[in-house]
Amino acid sequence: MTDPRFTPSHGLAGVAELRHELRTPVNHIVGYTEMLLEDVEDVGHPDWQEGLAAALSAARDALVIINESLPPTRQAAISAEELSALHDSLAQPRTRILDTLRDILESVTPETDDRFASDVRKILKAADRLGMLESLRREPETTDEAAPAPSDGTGDDATSALPRGAGRILVVDDLEENRDVLGRRLEREGYTVVHAENGRRALDLIAAEPFDLVLLDVMMPELDGFETLGHIKDNPATRDIPVIMISAADDMANIVRCIKRGAEDFLPKPFDPVLLRARITASLEKKRFRDQEKQYLQQVNRVIAAAAAVESGAYETGELSGIARRADELGRLARVFDGMAGQVKAREARLLDQVHHLRREIEAARDSGEMQIPGLDFANLPAGQFGDRYEIRAVIGRGGMGVVYRAHDRELDEVVAIKTLRPELVSNEDLIERFKTEVRLARKISHRNVVRTHDFGEWMGVYYLTMEYVEGITLHDLLEQRQTLEISSTLALTRQLADCMAVAHEEGVVHRDLKPQNLLLDAEGLLKVMDFGVAKLAEGSTGTTEVGMMIGTPSYMSPEQLLGESIDARTDLYAVGVVMYECLTGKLPFEARSPVSLIAKVLNEDAVEPVTLNADIPPALSTLVMELLAKHRDERIPSATALAERLSRIG
Amino acid sequence: MPTILLVEDNEMNRDMLSRRLQRRGYEVAIAVDGREGVEMARAGGYDLILMDMSLPGLDGWDATRRLRADPDRITTPIIALTAHAMAGDRERALEAGCDDYDTKPIELPRLLSKIEALLASAE
Repeated sequence: MTDPRFTPSHGLAGVAELRHELRTPVNHIVGYTEMLLEDVEDVGHPDWQEGLAAALSAARDALVIINESLPPTRQAAISAEELSALHDSLAQPRTRILDTLRDILESVTPETDDRFASDVRKILKAADRLGMLESLRREPETTDEAAPAPSDGTGDDATSALPRGAGRILVVDDLEENRDVLGRRLEREGYTVVHAENGRRALDLIAAEPFDLVLLDVMMPELDGFETLGHIKDNPATRDIPVIMISAADDMANIVRCIKRGAEDFLPKPFDPVLLRARITASLEKKRFRDQEKQYLQQVNRVIAAAAAVESGAYETGELSGIARRADELGRLARVFDGMAGQVKAREARLLDQVHHLRREIEAARDSGEMQIPGLDFANLPAGQFGDRYEIRAVIGRGGMGVVYRAHDRELDEVVAIKTLRPELVSNEDLIERFKTEVRLARKISHRNVVRTHDFGEWMGVYYLTMEYVEGITLHDLLEQRQTLEISSTLALTRQLADCMAVAHEEGVVHRDLKPQNLLLDAEGLLKVMDFGVAKLAEGSTGTTEVGMMIGTPSYMSPEQLLGESIDARTDLYAVGVVMYECLTGKLPFEARSPVSLIAKVLNEDAVEPVTLNADIPPALSTLVMELLAKHRDERIPSATALAERLSRIG
Repeated sequence: MPTILLVEDNEMNRDMLSRRLQRRGYEVAIAVDGREGVEMARAGGYDLILMDMSLPGLDGWDATRRLRADPDRITTPIIALTAHAMAGDRERALEAGCDDYDTKPIELPRLLSKIEALLASAE
């Protein structure tokens, strides 16, 4: 009579698969038994030799039976009758193996070598597998997908015929039989199965090992399936593991409760193999997509974090190499980003080097000991009280607009600079109002290279501005000491100037009076630009741009400024060109004995190219200075941003 | 002692064979699939390779072909291990570039004699 457990397999692939499933455990039995035979002397049990030899002989018999029933040359499919007969004929050698090895295992004492005992258990496990012929039962519709790779049809390994890396599944059920049935079915599908006999144990396992799926019985003593599910779903670390509930088919109330609590699906008992496979495959597939999505998002976050790292200067090139290997758009983004970050880093390193040079020059100028401000006239304001809030400490400068003091702000307990304004600059309400407007405008520029303006005020008829106090040296004083700056120092200075001009121009503020006296350098080589927008007031006070009324020298003024035309950002860029020219060559582009002849030269003559005066200047840098000095602003470098860009290309 | 690279995906087979070879004084390095086997063989340092033919992904046949076609010409002797003597398997193995061939279950004395013969001829 046909054993109803056996369904015939179809075709050659089915035969090869069956042969493979039977031979694999037998091969393991043979191998391990041979090893144990070699070991019996060492473990002090020569008496086991006979039993092991018998087991080995039984295993070889089993191989002969398998080879004869299923020769590799066999083309015909195997029938259910044949399968049943094969099962019966294998039973005898299998029993011999089991009996012998169980005897040996019983005689194993705690003194016996652990490895020996573990090998005995491996043989028993293999013999068990050989006995599970029901595992060969094949639903016809699944034969194809479970068939081994057709490459050689001789797969020897229990796993080679199964989907690789199919997943780790935790089966949680208080009934051993249920766990066993489910576990074996799943193992046959190629899954790795771990068992837990109760909810508590399941939670411990989930905390300790990664799982792709949990099959969870609803009805369990103590911590039941619903509660266990709650714990899994409440823990952010385990929330994403899909859980399929196992329950009686008629227990819909519990099923609904569990699905609401986050269960992925349910499986009714008794298990239908087809349904089992379908639901598990679907759940795992969904999890794989979710994992992929999660990984993708994590990698996106890493790229974002890398962007922050670039900003804070902490990015190391190659940090994204893992993501850069991706073949998709994210990988491309990471590659491009990494490359750009590398360039930024290299550029920063160069800038640092340039600032270092600049700092050395500042230090050298200080060391020369001639930096003290020449005896200034304290007549305007005596040292001491200035209003309720400030206390004058020293005069630190005097310019066309007034006197600059170092003062102590008692209210905020900090050092500030106070600049008083010549009375004619603030002689009427209109002018004061305009002054206030300009100060408000200048205060909009918040940049590390700009001296911050705090306040505009009046005390005893004296109008003044309070500003950030910068302990430093003006470029004017520095050049007086050193005549020229090194090329790298000039680049460090100009870059900072271009950066802060870009921000100011963006805010609609034109400086109008850039010159070495307004450029402060602190001991670290940090540039601070003073008097943003203030120059306009000086113009306003006279209402003209007559030469005689100009503050200071026209050396840094552009032709359009000298001609009283409208002013824009490019006017500042001309002044930057003059400053650069002076730093690099130690000379102004135009020099004359009188302001009038100077203006004539600025308007009509071409400056000598810097490189002619100093052959060390890179031609590209010399050209750039000349472009800034173009008579017509349309021919100048168009913006501070463009200037920064050009500078970065030079070095 | 000679070092043998064992390319085998089945854990029990790896465990058995590597332990048995080590007991006989061989150093055994393990690769768990064809791709790893090719990488390790390319890196060098092995006197002989035992290559299981049914491996996931890159199987033993392809791994062997790849090694033999390598521009650096990996000439390390390779013994193919197959589950069963299919007609023509031996020819196939030699054609793929293997130097010898053995079937599972492994009969250790037989395999050892093949290993020793190949190592001796390589010297």
